[in-house]
Amino acid sequence: MATITAQLTVNSDISSYGGPSISKTMTMTKAATNNGLERTSGIQRKYMTSTNHIDLIQGAAGVVADMTVSATASAAKIYIKYLEADTSKYVTLGFGTSSGSGTQQANDSTTTPAFELGKLYGDDWMIIPWDGTSATGDITVKPSSATTAAPAIIEYIVFFD
Amino acid sequence: MATTTAAITLTSADLLTDALSLSATKTLHKAGSTVGLDQTTGMTKAYLTATTNVDIFPTLIEGSMAFAGKSSWVYICNESEDETEYVIITISGNVIGKLYGGDFLWMPWSQSEDGHGNNRHGDIELAPSVDTGMWFSWCCINEGTEYPTAV
Repeated sequence: MATITAQLTVNSDISSYGGPSISKTMTMTKAATNNGLERTSGIQRKYMTSTNHIDLIQGAAGVVADMTVSATASAAKIYIKYLEADTSKYVTLGFGTSSGSGTQQANDSTTTPAFELGKLYGDDWMIIPWDGTSATGDITVKPSSATTAAPAIIEYIVFFD
Repeated sequence: MATTTAAITLTSADLLTDALSLSATKTLHKAGSTVGLDQTTGMTKAYLTATTNVDIFPTLIEGSMAFAGKSSWVYICNESEDETEYVIITISGNVIGKLYGGDFLWMPWSQSEDGHGNNRHGDIELAPSVDTGMWFSWCCINEGTEYPTAV
Protein backbone atom coordinates (compact mmCIF):
# COMPACT_ATOMS: atom_id res chain seq x y z
CA MET A 1 0.00 0.00 0.00
CA ALA A 2 1.39 3.34 -1.05
CA THR A 3 0.93 6.71 0.57
CA ILE A 4 0.30 9.58 -1.82
CA THR A 5 -0.40 13.05 -0.48
CA ALA A 6 -1.52 16.24 -2.16
CA GLN A 7 -1.07 19.47 -0.25
CA LEU A 8 -2.99 22.49 -1.49
CA THR A 9 -2.23 26.01 -0.34
CA VAL A 10 -4.14 29.06 -1.53
CA ASN A 11 -3.35 32.52 -0.22
CA SER A 12 -5.34 35.57 -1.24
CA ASP A 13 -5.90 39.17 -0.25
CA ILE A 14 -9.10 39.60 -2.25
CA SER A 15 -11.22 40.10 0.81
CA SER A 16 -10.39 42.85 3.27
CA TYR A 17 -11.84 40.49 5.87
CA GLY A 18 -9.10 37.99 5.04
CA GLY A 19 -8.57 35.37 2.39
CA PRO A 20 -10.00 33.24 1.15
CA SER A 21 -7.16 31.01 2.26
CA ILE A 22 -6.91 27.25 1.93
CA SER A 23 -4.47 24.84 3.49
CA LYS A 24 -5.48 21.25 3.02
CA THR A 25 -3.69 17.94 2.73
CA MET A 26 -5.33 14.97 1.05
CA THR A 27 -4.10 11.41 1.37
CA MET A 28 -5.29 9.54 -1.69
CA THR A 29 -7.08 6.33 -0.76
CA LYS A 30 -8.99 3.65 -2.60
CA ALA A 31 -12.74 3.98 -2.69
CA ALA A 32 -14.33 3.74 0.75
CA THR A 33 -11.19 2.49 2.50
CA ASN A 34 -8.14 3.85 4.27
CA ASN A 35 -5.86 1.91 1.92
CA GLY A 36 -3.76 4.12 -0.29
CA LEU A 37 -4.03 4.25 -4.05
CA GLU A 38 -1.19 2.24 -5.51
CA ARG A 39 -1.41 2.59 -9.28
CA THR A 40 -0.40 5.48 -11.47
CA SER A 41 0.07 6.46 -15.08
CA GLY A 42 3.37 8.01 -14.06
CA ILE A 43 4.08 11.58 -15.10
CA GLN A 44 3.13 11.97 -18.73
CA ARG A 45 3.79 14.75 -21.22
CA LYS A 46 1.54 15.38 -24.17
CA TYR A 47 2.89 17.48 -27.05
CA MET A 48 0.26 18.95 -29.32
CA THR A 49 1.27 20.45 -32.62
CA SER A 50 -2.17 21.57 -33.77
CA THR A 51 -5.16 23.23 -32.21
CA ASN A 52 -7.39 20.23 -32.83
CA HIS A 53 -9.79 19.13 -30.12
CA ILE A 54 -8.53 15.71 -29.00
CA ASP A 55 -8.66 13.19 -26.16
CA LEU A 56 -5.99 13.81 -23.56
CA ILE A 57 -6.87 10.84 -21.35
CA GLN A 58 -9.25 8.09 -22.37
CA GLY A 59 -11.48 6.57 -19.75
CA ALA A 60 -11.52 2.96 -20.82
CA ALA A 61 -8.65 1.15 -22.55
CA GLY A 62 -6.73 4.30 -23.24
CA VAL A 63 -3.64 5.84 -21.74
CA VAL A 64 -4.34 4.26 -18.37
CA ALA A 65 -4.85 0.80 -19.80
CA ASP A 66 -5.16 -1.15 -16.56
CA MET A 67 -7.34 1.32 -14.72
CA THR A 68 -10.55 -0.14 -13.37
CA VAL A 69 -13.16 2.20 -14.74
CA SER A 70 -16.07 2.27 -12.38
CA ALA A 71 -19.02 4.53 -11.95
CA THR A 72 -19.65 3.18 -8.49
CA ALA A 73 -16.26 2.71 -6.86
CA SER A 74 -13.54 4.89 -8.24
CA ALA A 75 -11.32 7.21 -6.24
CA ALA A 76 -8.97 8.17 -9.06
CA LYS A 77 -7.36 11.59 -9.08
CA ILE A 78 -5.83 13.51 -11.96
CA TYR A 79 -3.31 16.33 -11.87
CA ILE A 80 -2.93 18.36 -15.07
CA LYS A 81 -0.62 21.29 -15.80
CA TYR A 82 -0.24 23.43 -18.93
CA LEU A 83 3.46 24.08 -19.42
CA GLU A 84 3.54 27.52 -21.00
CA ALA A 85 5.21 30.76 -19.95
CA ASP A 86 2.83 32.93 -22.01
CA THR A 87 -0.23 33.48 -19.79
CA SER A 88 -2.35 34.64 -22.73
CA LYS A 89 -2.27 31.12 -24.19
CA TYR A 90 -4.58 28.45 -22.83
CA VAL A 91 -5.83 24.92 -23.23
CA THR A 92 -9.52 24.17 -22.90
CA LEU A 93 -10.21 21.05 -20.84
CA GLY A 94 -13.43 19.12 -21.19
CA PHE A 95 -15.15 15.79 -20.71
CA GLY A 96 -16.79 13.47 -23.21
CA THR A 97 -16.49 13.54 -26.96
CA SER A 98 -13.70 15.35 -28.76
CA SER A 99 -14.32 16.63 -32.27
CA GLY A 100 -10.90 15.68 -33.64
CA SER A 101 -10.93 18.88 -35.65
CA GLY A 102 -10.03 22.50 -35.11
CA THR A 103 -13.56 23.25 -33.98
CA GLN A 104 -14.28 22.34 -30.41
CA GLN A 105 -17.09 19.84 -29.86
CA ALA A 106 -20.15 21.82 -28.90
CA ASN A 107 -21.31 21.69 -25.30
CA ASP A 108 -24.17 19.29 -25.04
CA SER A 109 -24.74 17.57 -21.73
CA THR A 110 -27.06 14.89 -23.07
CA THR A 111 -27.05 14.20 -26.79
CA THR A 112 -23.36 13.96 -27.64
CA PRO A 113 -22.34 14.27 -24.70
CA ALA A 114 -19.49 16.72 -24.28
CA PHE A 115 -18.90 19.70 -22.10
CA GLU A 116 -16.20 22.21 -21.34
CA LEU A 117 -14.76 22.08 -17.84
CA GLY A 118 -12.43 25.06 -17.82
CA LYS A 119 -9.36 26.70 -19.26
CA LEU A 120 -5.82 26.35 -18.06
CA TYR A 121 -3.80 29.43 -18.98
CA GLY A 122 -0.01 29.33 -19.08
CA ASP A 123 1.39 27.45 -16.06
CA ASP A 124 -2.06 26.83 -14.55
CA TRP A 125 -2.70 23.43 -13.00
CA MET A 126 -5.61 21.52 -11.54
CA ILE A 127 -6.41 18.41 -9.54
CA ILE A 128 -9.75 16.65 -9.77
CA PRO A 129 -11.37 13.29 -9.03
CA TRP A 130 -12.12 11.08 -12.01
CA ASP A 131 -14.64 8.31 -12.56
CA GLY A 132 -13.50 7.57 -16.09
CA THR A 133 -16.83 6.13 -17.12
CA SER A 134 -17.27 5.58 -20.80
CA ALA A 135 -19.96 8.04 -21.80
CA THR A 136 -18.31 11.20 -20.57
CA GLY A 137 -15.13 9.88 -19.00
CA ASP A 138 -12.65 10.91 -21.65
CA ILE A 139 -10.81 14.08 -20.79
CA THR A 140 -10.46 16.28 -23.82
CA VAL A 141 -8.17 19.17 -24.62
CA LYS A 142 -7.96 21.92 -27.21
CA PRO A 143 -5.01 24.32 -27.23
CA SER A 144 -5.51 27.94 -28.22
CA SER A 145 -2.11 27.88 -29.89
CA ALA A 146 0.01 24.94 -31.01
CA THR A 147 2.38 24.35 -33.90
CA THR A 148 5.20 21.98 -34.69
CA ALA A 149 7.67 24.71 -33.84
CA ALA A 150 5.85 25.78 -30.70
CA PRO A 151 3.81 22.85 -29.41
CA ALA A 152 1.37 23.06 -26.54
CA ILE A 153 2.69 20.86 -23.76
CA ILE A 154 0.59 19.32 -21.02
CA GLU A 155 1.92 17.40 -18.08
CA TYR A 156 -0.39 15.04 -16.21
CA ILE A 157 -0.45 12.16 -13.81
CA VAL A 158 -3.28 9.79 -12.90
CA PHE A 159 -3.53 7.98 -9.57
CA PHE A 160 -6.14 5.24 -9.53
CA ASP A 161 -7.63 2.18 -7.83
CA MET B 1 -4.86 44.69 -7.44
CA ALA B 2 -5.57 41.55 -5.50
CA THR B 3 -3.10 38.69 -5.49
CA THR B 4 -4.09 35.07 -5.12
CA THR B 5 -1.56 32.28 -5.34
CA ALA B 6 -2.32 28.58 -5.47
CA ALA B 7 0.31 25.95 -4.77
CA ILE B 8 0.29 22.20 -4.76
CA THR B 9 2.76 19.56 -3.72
CA LEU B 10 2.27 15.92 -4.69
CA THR B 11 4.49 13.47 -2.85
CA SER B 12 4.90 9.77 -2.31
CA ALA B 13 7.86 7.94 -0.90
CA ASP B 14 6.65 4.46 -1.75
CA LEU B 15 4.41 4.60 -4.85
CA LEU B 16 7.31 4.12 -7.26
CA THR B 17 10.87 2.85 -7.01
CA ASP B 18 12.04 6.40 -6.40
CA ALA B 19 10.29 9.10 -4.45
CA LEU B 20 7.67 11.15 -6.24
CA SER B 21 7.79 14.87 -5.58
CA LEU B 22 6.00 17.35 -7.77
CA SER B 23 5.25 20.99 -7.01
CA ALA B 24 3.54 23.85 -8.80
CA THR B 25 2.63 27.41 -7.88
CA LYS B 26 0.57 29.87 -9.87
CA THR B 27 -0.83 33.35 -9.38
CA LEU B 28 -4.45 33.43 -10.48
CA HIS B 29 -5.16 35.93 -13.25
CA LYS B 30 -8.15 37.21 -15.12
CA ALA B 31 -8.59 35.44 -18.45
CA GLY B 32 -5.64 35.99 -20.78
CA SER B 33 -4.08 38.72 -18.65
CA THR B 34 -1.68 39.26 -15.78
CA VAL B 35 -4.28 41.08 -13.71
CA GLY B 36 -5.20 39.25 -10.53
CA LEU B 37 -8.63 37.82 -9.88
CA ASP B 38 -10.50 40.13 -7.58
CA GLN B 39 -13.84 38.52 -6.65
CA THR B 40 -14.84 35.54 -4.56
CA THR B 41 -17.81 33.79 -3.05
CA GLY B 42 -15.78 33.38 0.12
CA MET B 43 -15.41 30.02 1.80
CA THR B 44 -18.69 28.24 2.43
CA LYS B 45 -19.08 25.66 5.18
CA ALA B 46 -22.17 23.56 4.53
CA TYR B 47 -23.91 20.61 6.16
CA LEU B 48 -25.97 18.60 3.69
CA THR B 49 -28.58 16.15 4.97
CA ALA B 50 -30.01 14.72 1.76
CA THR B 51 -28.60 12.69 -1.11
CA THR B 52 -30.28 14.75 -3.78
CA ASN B 53 -28.18 16.85 -6.14
CA VAL B 54 -27.75 20.47 -5.16
CA ASP B 55 -26.33 23.37 -7.15
CA ILE B 56 -23.56 24.91 -5.09
CA PHE B 57 -22.94 27.89 -7.39
CA PRO B 58 -26.26 29.17 -8.75
CA THR B 59 -24.44 31.81 -10.70
CA LEU B 60 -25.40 31.46 -14.32
CA ILE B 61 -27.78 33.96 -15.76
CA GLU B 62 -29.85 32.40 -18.50
CA GLY B 63 -29.46 34.19 -21.79
CA SER B 64 -26.54 36.37 -20.81
CA MET B 65 -24.05 33.81 -19.47
CA ALA B 66 -22.52 36.21 -17.03
CA PHE B 67 -19.24 34.39 -16.60
CA ALA B 68 -18.66 33.22 -20.15
CA GLY B 69 -15.06 33.84 -21.16
CA LYS B 70 -14.08 34.76 -17.62
CA SER B 71 -11.65 32.99 -15.33
CA SER B 72 -13.02 31.14 -12.32
CA TRP B 73 -11.39 28.69 -9.92
CA VAL B 74 -13.28 26.27 -7.73
CA TYR B 75 -12.32 24.46 -4.52
CA ILE B 76 -14.55 21.75 -3.09
CA CYS B 77 -13.69 19.58 -0.09
CA ASN B 78 -15.57 16.67 1.44
CA GLU B 79 -14.89 17.34 5.12
CA SER B 80 -16.31 14.00 6.28
CA GLU B 81 -13.98 11.96 8.48
CA ASP B 82 -15.66 8.73 7.41
CA GLU B 83 -13.74 7.18 4.52
CA THR B 84 -16.86 5.45 3.20
CA GLU B 85 -18.79 8.69 2.75
CA TYR B 86 -18.41 10.32 -0.62
CA VAL B 87 -19.92 13.02 -2.75
CA ILE B 88 -20.55 12.75 -6.47
CA ILE B 89 -19.41 15.82 -8.35
CA THR B 90 -21.47 16.61 -11.42
CA ILE B 91 -20.85 19.31 -13.98
CA SER B 92 -23.33 20.07 -16.68
CA GLY B 93 -25.29 17.03 -15.56
CA ASN B 94 -22.38 14.62 -16.06
CA VAL B 95 -20.42 12.91 -13.31
CA ILE B 96 -16.74 13.78 -13.26
CA GLY B 97 -15.78 11.94 -10.09
CA LYS B 98 -16.20 11.29 -6.39
CA LEU B 99 -14.62 12.94 -3.41
CA TYR B 100 -14.32 10.57 -0.46
CA GLY B 101 -13.91 11.81 3.08
CA GLY B 102 -10.99 14.26 3.21
CA ASP B 103 -10.67 14.58 -0.58
CA PHE B 104 -10.68 17.92 -2.38
CA LEU B 105 -10.57 19.30 -5.89
CA TRP B 106 -9.12 22.48 -7.35
CA MET B 107 -10.04 23.30 -10.91
CA PRO B 108 -10.82 26.02 -13.45
CA TRP B 109 -14.47 26.49 -14.35
CA SER B 110 -15.67 27.83 -17.69
CA GLN B 111 -19.41 27.89 -17.01
CA SER B 112 -20.06 27.40 -20.68
CA GLU B 113 -23.53 27.44 -22.13
CA ASP B 114 -25.07 24.05 -22.84
CA GLY B 115 -26.59 23.70 -26.28
CA HIS B 116 -28.99 20.98 -25.13
CA GLY B 117 -31.38 23.50 -23.69
CA ASN B 118 -31.89 21.76 -20.36
CA ASN B 119 -30.47 24.73 -18.49
CA ARG B 120 -27.69 22.68 -16.95
CA HIS B 121 -24.95 24.75 -18.53
CA GLY B 122 -21.79 24.49 -16.44
CA ASP B 123 -23.63 24.02 -13.16
CA ILE B 124 -21.61 22.29 -10.46
CA GLU B 125 -23.69 19.89 -8.40
CA LEU B 126 -22.99 17.81 -5.32
CA ALA B 127 -24.78 14.62 -4.33
CA PRO B 128 -23.78 13.28 -0.88
CA SER B 129 -23.74 9.49 -0.46
CA VAL B 130 -25.66 9.55 2.81
CA ASP B 131 -28.51 11.59 4.26
CA THR B 132 -27.24 11.45 7.82
CA GLY B 133 -25.32 14.68 7.37
CA MET B 134 -22.02 15.49 5.72
CA TRP B 135 -19.87 18.61 6.01
CA PHE B 136 -18.44 20.34 2.97
CA SER B 137 -16.36 23.38 2.20
CA TRP B 138 -16.36 25.17 -1.13
CA CYS B 139 -15.17 28.40 -2.62
CA CYS B 140 -15.02 30.13 -5.99
CA ILE B 141 -12.41 32.75 -6.86
CA ASN B 142 -13.33 34.57 -10.02
CA GLU B 143 -13.85 37.73 -12.05
CA GLY B 144 -16.86 39.42 -13.50
CA THR B 145 -19.65 38.43 -11.12
CA GLU B 146 -23.08 39.52 -12.30
CA TYR B 147 -26.18 39.14 -10.23
CA PRO B 148 -29.69 38.51 -11.52
CA THR B 149 -32.09 41.39 -11.33
CA ALA B 150 -34.58 41.00 -8.53
CA VAL B 151 -38.12 40.05 -9.51
